[in-house]
Amino acid sequence: MNMPMTYPSTMEPAMTPADEPILDLRKLSKTFGEVQALDGVDLTVQPGEFVTVVGPSGCGKSTLFNIVSGLEEPDNGSVLRFEGQSVHAKHLLGRVSFMPQRDLLLAWRNVIDNAILPLEIEGANKAEARAEAQRMLPEFGLAGFADKYPHELSGGMRQRVALMRTFMFKRDLLLLDEPFGALDALTRTMMQRWLLEVWQKHKRTVLFITHDVDEAIFLGDKVLVMTARPGAIKLARTVDLPRPRSADLVTSPEFISLKRELLDAIEEESMKTFGPASH
Amino acid sequence: MTVQANMAGAQPMARRFGAVLPLLKGLVAIAAVLLAVELLVIAFGIRPYVLPRPSAVIEAVLRTPGAYRDAMIRTGLETLMGFGAGALFGIWIGVAFSRLRFLRETIFPIFIVSQTIPVIAFGALVVMWFGNTILAKAVIVFYLTFFPVTVNCLLGMRAVDQKQVQLLRSFGASDREIMRKLRFPTALPHIFVALRIASALGLAGAVVGEWFGDTTGLGVLLLQGMYAENMVAIWASILCSAVLGIAFFGAIGLAEKRIVFWGGESS
Repeated sequence: MNMPMTYPSTMEPAMTPADEPILDLRKLSKTFGEVQALDGVDLTVQPGEFVTVVGPSGCGKSTLFNIVSGLEEPDNGSVLRFEGQSVHAKHLLGRVSFMPQRDLLLAWRNVIDNAILPLEIEGANKAEARAEAQRMLPEFGLAGFADKYPHELSGGMRQRVALMRTFMFKRDLLLLDEPFGALDALTRTMMQRWLLEVWQKHKRTVLFITHDVDEAIFLGDKVLVMTARPGAIKLARTVDLPRPRSADLVTSPEFISLKRELLDAIEEESMKTFGPASH
Repeated sequence: MTVQANMAGAQPMARRFGAVLPLLKGLVAIAAVLLAVELLVIAFGIRPYVLPRPSAVIEAVLRTPGAYRDAMIRTGLETLMGFGAGALFGIWIGVAFSRLRFLRETIFPIFIVSQTIPVIAFGALVVMWFGNTILAKAVIVFYLTFFPVTVNCLLGMRAVDQKQVQLLRSFGASDREIMRKLRFPTALPHIFVALRIASALGLAGAVVGEWFGDTTGLGVLLLQGMYAENMVAIWASILCSAVLGIAFFGAIGLAEKRIVFWGGESS
């Protein structure tokens, strides 16, 4: 009778009702005309959790993010709950920090003014926002670059400015859409480790899209694999690897076996899109 | 002591020289062309009635500098007034068009039709309305200026990256904020292209406007030169118009460099 209670740490987060999920999606579908992008996505994110989403290209990952950031409404019948309340997608505008794939920095604003853009839109005091951004620069590896303009920065630095902008928009849920996709492998690894540090320090909840399985396992508490279009959650795996995570983690047996399993699932889905026609 | 002072002054001097260098190059090029024309006219014995020597033209300007100076001030003022009003109106209406679909679909076609009226026909009308005043010429310049500015402003607003619009919306920005913080800055490089075109058009409008009747201005000098069959006077007026045109163009280029410092490529 006591048995199930002895090992609560091995339980799936979704099975512990103690915490109410910050984001709870059920039967989330989205159709664009003839094309069904998402078909019944079920997904929960607990406060403070780092959830990564991987899937074959064109699986509707970005559509999922556009819905959660409030830019698109899901089809009727979809359930979208945020902080315990059922909401329309448009009510999420301004309530989650969204970072799209490209940095989308404004060319006429320097590093500081790009970073404070969301605060400015919120109506915050500009001088205070600038002072706060100035304090955050070193943490984001941008010390001394306050007055530089986007065209004067490298790709990695621009991405860090975009991340800083996302973090300065103090919302509990961060949506990161392949933020390191365009970076070279070395910069990418550095940025991943750095992101984990910042995440642990700021205690935010992260939903992170990537197409890189290594990245998904290395960063996440939980990895979700999406099916080929129409997108749904094919597989959810808890990553039981200790934190803080170091670079040599990627060669540990636990990491490799999890990677094997996830890659098989993704491969199976990719074959549906790219494989030889079986009909 | 003096040597040290010279050494200290050398750095800013060099920088100042660097700023005027393009201007200097331009002047040298113009001087070279004028000299070449001068030599050609002499070498081929071209009669002054066909093409006067540049030195004679410059001499004519220097003989009565007051007349040419007054003409340049007058025509310059007309252009400046009409251009300023046209640029502001063009930007304003471009912003309005980009925000209000209804306006864009009803008023914009009328604007296009209005631009098919030749400026000469329109000029006669304006003189009837405003008389031989400086305002009449400014209105002609305005008419020629605002349209390219409106078109390019609208174009620039639409060239905005939809992903950036979505990002700002995800921060909770209103349409007004998206306009101010994103669309308008994105449109600025396009607007400056229009301003450069409009500056040349506007000056031409002012000169032509003076043909409908006035007592001072470069257009008046041109007309007088034509009636007197004074080739040197005509060329002198053309020279002054060119100087004025280059000054306008240069001023806009300078403003563009200052304002669109990021080079116009949105990230």
